[in-house]
Amino acid sequence: MKRVVVDPVNRIEGHLRLEVVVDEATGKVQEALSSGTAWRGIELILKDRDPRDAWAFAQRICGVCTTIHSLSCLRAVEDALGIEIPKNANYIRNIIEATQMVHDHIVHFYHLHALDWVSPVAALKADPAATAALQNTVLEKYNLNVKGPIEFDTEAYPKEFPKATTVYFKSIQEKIKKIVDSGQLGIFSAQWWDHPDYDVLPPEVHLMAVSHYLNMLDRQRDIVTSHVVFGGKNPHPHYVVGGMPCSISMNDMNAPINTERLAVVDASINMTIALNNYFYIPDVLAIGEIYVKQGYVDGGGLAKERVIGFGDYPDEKYSGTSNGDFHKNLLLRSDGVVENFVQGVDKAVFYPFEAKDLSDPDVLTEGVEHSWYDYPEKDKDKDLHPWSGVTNPKFTGPKEGSKTDWKYLDENGKYSWIKTPKWRGKMAEVGPLSRYIIVYTKVKQGIITEPTWVEKMMVDQVDAVSKMLNLPPEKWLLSTVGRTAARGLESQVMGYISKYYLDKLINNIKAGDTSVANTDKWEPSTWPKEARGVGLVEAPRGALSHWVIIKDGKIDNYQAVVPSTWNACPRDSKSGYGAYETSMMDTKVKIADKPLEILKVIHSFDPCLACATHLYDASGRQLTVVHSDPYLRL
Amino acid sequence: MKDVESLWDLFQRRNVSRRNFLKTCVTITGILGLSPSLISDVVSAAEKQPLVPVIWLHGHECTGCDEAFIRSQSPFASDVLLNMISMEYMDVLAAAAGEPLEHHLQEVMKKYNGKYLLAVEGAVPLNDDGIHCMVGGKTFVHNLKEVAKGAAAIIEVGSCAAWGGIQAAKPNPTKSVSVSDVVSGKTIIKVPGCPPIPEVITGVIMHYTLYGQIPPLDSKGRPKQFFGNRIHDTCYRRPFFDSGMFVEKFDDAASKAGWCLYKVGCRGPETYNSCGNLRWWNGLSYPIQSGAPCIGCSANNFWDNDPFYNRMPNIPVPNAIVNADQVGIVAAGALTAGVVIHGALSTIQHKRHHKETHETENDNE
Repeated sequence: MKRVVVDPVNRIEGHLRLEVVVDEATGKVQEALSSGTAWRGIELILKDRDPRDAWAFAQRICGVCTTIHSLSCLRAVEDALGIEIPKNANYIRNIIEATQMVHDHIVHFYHLHALDWVSPVAALKADPAATAALQNTVLEKYNLNVKGPIEFDTEAYPKEFPKATTVYFKSIQEKIKKIVDSGQLGIFSAQWWDHPDYDVLPPEVHLMAVSHYLNMLDRQRDIVTSHVVFGGKNPHPHYVVGGMPCSISMNDMNAPINTERLAVVDASINMTIALNNYFYIPDVLAIGEIYVKQGYVDGGGLAKERVIGFGDYPDEKYSGTSNGDFHKNLLLRSDGVVENFVQGVDKAVFYPFEAKDLSDPDVLTEGVEHSWYDYPEKDKDKDLHPWSGVTNPKFTGPKEGSKTDWKYLDENGKYSWIKTPKWRGKMAEVGPLSRYIIVYTKVKQGIITEPTWVEKMMVDQVDAVSKMLNLPPEKWLLSTVGRTAARGLESQVMGYISKYYLDKLINNIKAGDTSVANTDKWEPSTWPKEARGVGLVEAPRGALSHWVIIKDGKIDNYQAVVPSTWNACPRDSKSGYGAYETSMMDTKVKIADKPLEILKVIHSFDPCLACATHLYDASGRQLTVVHSDPYLRL
Repeated sequence: MKDVESLWDLFQRRNVSRRNFLKTCVTITGILGLSPSLISDVVSAAEKQPLVPVIWLHGHECTGCDEAFIRSQSPFASDVLLNMISMEYMDVLAAAAGEPLEHHLQEVMKKYNGKYLLAVEGAVPLNDDGIHCMVGGKTFVHNLKEVAKGAAAIIEVGSCAAWGGIQAAKPNPTKSVSVSDVVSGKTIIKVPGCPPIPEVITGVIMHYTLYGQIPPLDSKGRPKQFFGNRIHDTCYRRPFFDSGMFVEKFDDAASKAGWCLYKVGCRGPETYNSCGNLRWWNGLSYPIQSGAPCIGCSANNFWDNDPFYNRMPNIPVPNAIVNADQVGIVAAGALTAGVVIHGALSTIQHKRHHKETHETENDNE
């Protein structure tokens, strides 16, 4: 039995520590813990601020999923103040969000996850001519033949296409060889390149994938061009409560948005669709198929038992979230909980999750059994709804080592700044995989009778991949590979969602509507004395909610329950392990000292730890001690 | 510095042609905002100067600055990472994790002692012995001090490292401070911004790797070539300010016409950054061009200079007699007189600006 620590976990946002106990004889992970090791306190900083500024503060929770937290924040503030944003603002925000999803997923796959599967060292053994042939085969074979609705078809031919020539792969290979020979490996230094799992893929796949790693590193910026056009910059584009600041005019030479600006966005979206169709989808499916066919279908973990989602992409205007209107016209109805998908879609059990559940004290609760917090005596062993929580920080230090120099954390005691969120007392996984499981179940079980084009496309993708692998969805989707593949499939959908909303924007401008901001309730004098609101987003890493209470024109309390908290949370004696921990214990480790499989399964969640641990418990009181609960309480 | 190579050595070793090498130098000259007449100096610097190993640490941050770094177009992130610097430690992009990565860090610190460039992203939390940010089982403040010892120079990448950033906004629950608050005796370059413009980050790194010396800095430690002017000074909407033509509320007729955003809170008049001249995505836009007032994200403690939509106090408007509201009325109500007013105001503004440049040096940082 060997206890292995991985800290820092690389290629993520924020600070994450993992500890696993591996039975070296069988490779089985007997024990696994996931610990968020940093806390910044952003919601505490948000208290007493102007709610119209809150999006900028909330945005800085994360610079990787930049814009997602500001969107959730804006929806919460607008819900509280009863502000309905104009059609164009809804379209533009959806374009920004969908392009962000593609960007986040592509950077995750190629730059944060690929090096778990692909090795530059292995690429040296490839035959460049065979790699060019492979590239052609991959492009033809791994094509899902799905397409979203495109009204203004502006692209004559795909501008971004993988280079499938011998000379190209030869030059990439020569470059890698010289880097390796120099001994100056830079970002490729010190990895376990001798791990046997790097032999699963043929050398030609390694060379193709390393080429795409470099290619995508230089292309990813162009995916979020819409952020720079509509929001002025990226990361962290600008918004305004009530809509967008980027006024549209075809009558003024100096307008933020005119035909030329929309053409810039259009070209970027066309490119984004091509990157999904010709790079991401073929690459993820080619690598995934090889792994699945060699029997690598572990790492499913909590997704087998339970997943949760909130739904997103309002097709048209909505009057609010807490009144249920937001959920009435969504393109992506991933709201709900699915249990037992592991038994197949027919036996999976669906539970709705509706707006009213957000305020129900029995639906969402949080525990602190293994988090560095303590509840007061009367609630000592209870799980509390976020709205009735209290702040009692209790840093207990590590099991071995000192407060500022840890050896091992204590899995029997408290070990993380992340709390444990639950749905009806149970753990649940969130993310692209969860969204696919929920939508697939709802459509196949007839809970959704008229699927939107987005939902139909998601189901078609899953069926196409299942056919390709000759496996039912529950056999491949519920795994490390499946979690990674679902993200790729979703990226493809998001490319078309971007185009769909740009088409709607153009049509609406054509109809004479150029409004982007509703400023009727801009002045605090128009606000109620007290108001509360909630904003929901299906973020790149899963279901996200922001909660705000506004009192006398200021933020009285702010709360965010974020995807990586659901997934990275510590265990609970009543509810079991969180998603990261379950997935690690559902993974075989070949070499205890080189737990590549652990990195791979954790990276398959796309961890975002600043998101997970920024939260705090705020029952409206000023904290005097700073080890505060990372969850917000209203 | 025998352990490290010059850019030209590296290009030769990687069989990159002299022509491509020279093209790179031309690009770099442009990025650094240098005159084309200096291309030969850049070529010469790139031939002779050693290539610098870089260590990039993360404290209390959101990773937005790494994201900005990889958004650089000229040079591309791939070219920086593989051909121009030797990025020896950066946990966001590194292949390795945990113990092997930390061991590699120790080796790099030893091998390149006194020669590596340290880039720090994020603030340094000091509360409760620094336990609010633990990396590799140790506090970030401890790690930072260790790595800083052998650094040739330190770049504070972004407003968190440079000023403390968002976590240092009131009530600063983790007692976060800037890097320069805990590291002394080192040359420190401040590259503020939330995040900085991508080409500003790579431009500062390139300047150092090419010339082997830090770029000229202002009194706050910021590179003059990127932070020498306020956004207001080069803002393309400046003529509207000078003419007293202001947006009064979002999406009004003036917003559509792209008038000045000063009255809806724009911090351009007090913010030193390159948004007005470089802009984002190599000239595509910046917040003001997209209709959003600047929030001053490169200024010290800008988070507490809120509410953001309140007009900045104490900024003299372009008329010695009337205030911004009155100028707005004049400009909107008497369009025929606009040309005359504009001429007069521009003269006043020019004088005021000259005076203000000297007076406001320390007023907002």
